[in-house]
Amino acid sequence: MIHNLPWLFLLLPLVVAAIDWVCFNKHPRMAATLSLLSAAGTFGLCIAYLTGLQTGTPGIYTWMPCSVEQLCLHLGLVMDPLAMRMMLVVTGIGLLVHFFSIGYMKGDSSNHSRYYAGLSIFMFSMSTIVLADNLAMTFIGWEMVGFSSYLLIGHWFDKASAADAAKKAFITNRVGDFGFLLGILLTLGLFGTMNFADMAGKAAGIPTAVLTVTIVCLFCGAVGKSAQFPLHVWLPDAMEGPTPVSALIHAATMVAAGVYMLVRLQVSMGAEAFTETACCIIAWVGAITAVLAAIMAVQQDDIKRILAYSTLSQLGYMVMAVGLLAGEAAMFHLYTHAWFKALLFLGAGAIIVCCHHEQDIWKMGGLRKRMPLTVLCFMMGTCALIAIPGFSGFFSKEAILEAALAKNPTFFWIGAGVAALTTFYMLRLCIVAFMGPARDHGAEHAKEAGFTMALPLLVLAVMAVISGYAFIANDLVPFNGFHAHGFELGLPFYVSMGSLAAGILLALAVYGLGNRTRDPLAGNFISKALRNRLYIDALYDKVLIGGLQQAFAHVIEFLDIYIIRGIICQTLVWFTVRIGYLCSWIQCGSLRAYTLVSGIGLVILILLLANQF
Amino acid sequence: MFETSLCQILFYVLAALAVLCAAGVVGYRNPVNSAMCMAVCFAMVAAIFFGMGAQFLGIVQLIVYAGAILVLFLFVVMMLDIHNESKSRGSLVHAAICLLIAGFFAGIISWVSISLPGAKDNTCPAITLCESAGELLIGDAHQVKEAPAAAPQYGGCLPELNAAAAARMENPSISDADAAKATSIPDVKLLGKCLYTHYNIPFVILGFALLSGTVGAVALARKIRKD
Amino acid sequence: MIPLAHYLILSGILFSIGLAGVLIRKNIIVVFMCLEMMLTASNVALVAFSRAQGTAGVPVYDAQVLSLFITGIAAAEVAIGLALIVAMFRARRTVESSALNALKD
Repeated sequence: MIHNLPWLFLLLPLVVAAIDWVCFNKHPRMAATLSLLSAAGTFGLCIAYLTGLQTGTPGIYTWMPCSVEQLCLHLGLVMDPLAMRMMLVVTGIGLLVHFFSIGYMKGDSSNHSRYYAGLSIFMFSMSTIVLADNLAMTFIGWEMVGFSSYLLIGHWFDKASAADAAKKAFITNRVGDFGFLLGILLTLGLFGTMNFADMAGKAAGIPTAVLTVTIVCLFCGAVGKSAQFPLHVWLPDAMEGPTPVSALIHAATMVAAGVYMLVRLQVSMGAEAFTETACCIIAWVGAITAVLAAIMAVQQDDIKRILAYSTLSQLGYMVMAVGLLAGEAAMFHLYTHAWFKALLFLGAGAIIVCCHHEQDIWKMGGLRKRMPLTVLCFMMGTCALIAIPGFSGFFSKEAILEAALAKNPTFFWIGAGVAALTTFYMLRLCIVAFMGPARDHGAEHAKEAGFTMALPLLVLAVMAVISGYAFIANDLVPFNGFHAHGFELGLPFYVSMGSLAAGILLALAVYGLGNRTRDPLAGNFISKALRNRLYIDALYDKVLIGGLQQAFAHVIEFLDIYIIRGIICQTLVWFTVRIGYLCSWIQCGSLRAYTLVSGIGLVILILLLANQF
Repeated sequence: MFETSLCQILFYVLAALAVLCAAGVVGYRNPVNSAMCMAVCFAMVAAIFFGMGAQFLGIVQLIVYAGAILVLFLFVVMMLDIHNESKSRGSLVHAAICLLIAGFFAGIISWVSISLPGAKDNTCPAITLCESAGELLIGDAHQVKEAPAAAPQYGGCLPELNAAAAARMENPSISDADAAKATSIPDVKLLGKCLYTHYNIPFVILGFALLSGTVGAVALARKIRKD
Repeated sequence: MIPLAHYLILSGILFSIGLAGVLIRKNIIVVFMCLEMMLTASNVALVAFSRAQGTAGVPVYDAQVLSLFITGIAAAEVAIGLALIVAMFRARRTVESSALNALKD
């Protein structure tokens, strides 16, 4: 019995979500408490396992049995360090976000029970992805996180933009999931198994081209879920959801699931399964995403959108590292990024609440004096993000840059350039929002956030600083046998210091110390293009939705109207009507006719019976 | 035997009258005439029942059918003041088809009856009241004596009758007078005994059915108040 | 001695005439009378069987009891049926079955 304890990771949030949804629909406080307790419970369980609790191998359940053993759908849990430490990130940030939500949602009039149920469903589905021992179960979790993300982005569904964003996120993810499903089926066909544990060494002997296609198909899933170019469009829009949700789902955990899945595949299939072409594609997609997102972030005004593009950019980093076969560095960055990006988002959430739901950084300003604690925590996160030495982000970014330099210097220089851009736009955000005078009355009356919001910020700020150091990272980075490299001076260090310095200087030169009232870079052609996201969304709207989809819709409509309705349905209707008229004389309504017919029936019955003898 | 032939003639005359009156029920277009024909028909059937020794059923047939039910019919016909049936187009064809069906049905029944085992000869005879009971008894007893185990049941559900009949089989030399005495056990008494012992519960249920029928009739026929 | 077959044929003829009446006649009261006639025909057959199955001058009384039950049920049926006819006549001022075609429209 005790060996099934890990199933609690999945069942606890699921049951709590059901209870929240069904029983506590009218009792938001109870729902919040229950969700918080479930998050705390899973977090505690996770800590217990990491500190050496042993309960044996968890049981495997056959969900859909099949006569062919390979096609059976099993539900099993994998409990290696990669999974368990990832669970620590998920449950840890999940717990803090639950806690933060209590303060954040206080003044909100929407149904809180629905919100907490959504969070619990998310915790369940994310745990399913992390702990899944086969690709089918991963896929189940994969769809479930998409669903919970849909619920939570559209939490304020009466706002049209939120409803649209939820729909956009869901549909864009479908595109990636289609490839992912193909990839899973190809894997099943080629490897003969969906179980991660059985995949090792089976890649040998499979033709390189086929293997490439398989890996690229699987990568499609990651492209959708981790919002890589060209499916990155949903993530900035997803910021319509409540900010704690953005922190948990769209910064720290769910969007990292793609990276986690790729690393899990790399670990279980072996690096040799990732062919050169596949790696090249993965790395380039990551690099392009990193660069594009960083450029677009430069001209955003919404504080959450800046962070969203920054997330995109950092995810591009991780995917690039996976493409360079540096799974260790990717997971390291995923881990540090989870802490400091959750910190940044929660900080942004606190600022938004305190500025009376104002998200435009040009309407903030001077927050340094009014919310010192929040701003300090936010600055910690910024320092980690822009990789100032001594903060956690520095170590992980350094690991990626080193790996890039060793494999392919092109990616190294791309990474360095993105780092400079990152520094620039994050400092732009900080200078505009925190320095100088308040530019709007919302920012003038800002007050320090309450206890429930401050505590998670403090905890995350501490993690943002210390989580990169070897003594912690060695025990907590989600990777089997992770070992932090000793820090050493070298080309990567000098280049990243150079890009950091360039970013800082550029930001100071453009924005001064917060005295500008409007963006000096705005107004020109490039800025307009960047603000419009390089017209990629518009292109999708025009070409894919307006062109292809409409053309397809016209064809379907033609088939619908002329073939199905016109020929098939009309013919059927005509025949039915004729047969109906033919038959209607039977229903003449005359009692005598009915008795006559029953009399004839009697005769026929007797004749039939007589034939029997 | 004279008596036997008289009995037969009587039966055929009664049967012919019954069939004739039945045809009258269908044939007359005035419902009052139909009802009258039905009364005669039922009376003939009652007479045939008497001829078969089922005196009680005959009386019931007379009282219930020819008496109560028929009066009820007549009463309704008179009360509703129903005129002759209207003629409608194609009714002749309709009637022809219906007669064909009915004729076919009658033919089938006749054919089945005739081809029943022992229906044509007298191995499965219907005993009429006019026949000498003792004569028949002796004849039957001979038959049974040849195959004693073949007919263990005589009086249906009345075991004492069975015992009496069995005893008579053992000793066929019982006098004709005694045998006549045996058959002169009143029909009503035997039927009543059977009804009130073996069929007691169904009989009670039948009573309830009649009661609910009466209540239902009142509920249906009473004037429905508009308010 | 009259063979059993003759009783059965009588019963069959009565039954068939009743059936013909049910099919032919439009007046529901007459149809109802014909139904009663069909029940009586079955009584004739039952009593004949009761006699034929018995020996020693004693009929099988089960059949006669069944026949008695039929008579009783027929009485109840007549009561209900005539009540229905009266109710119908009140609603439609007719007892012709050809007029009962409201369901058609």
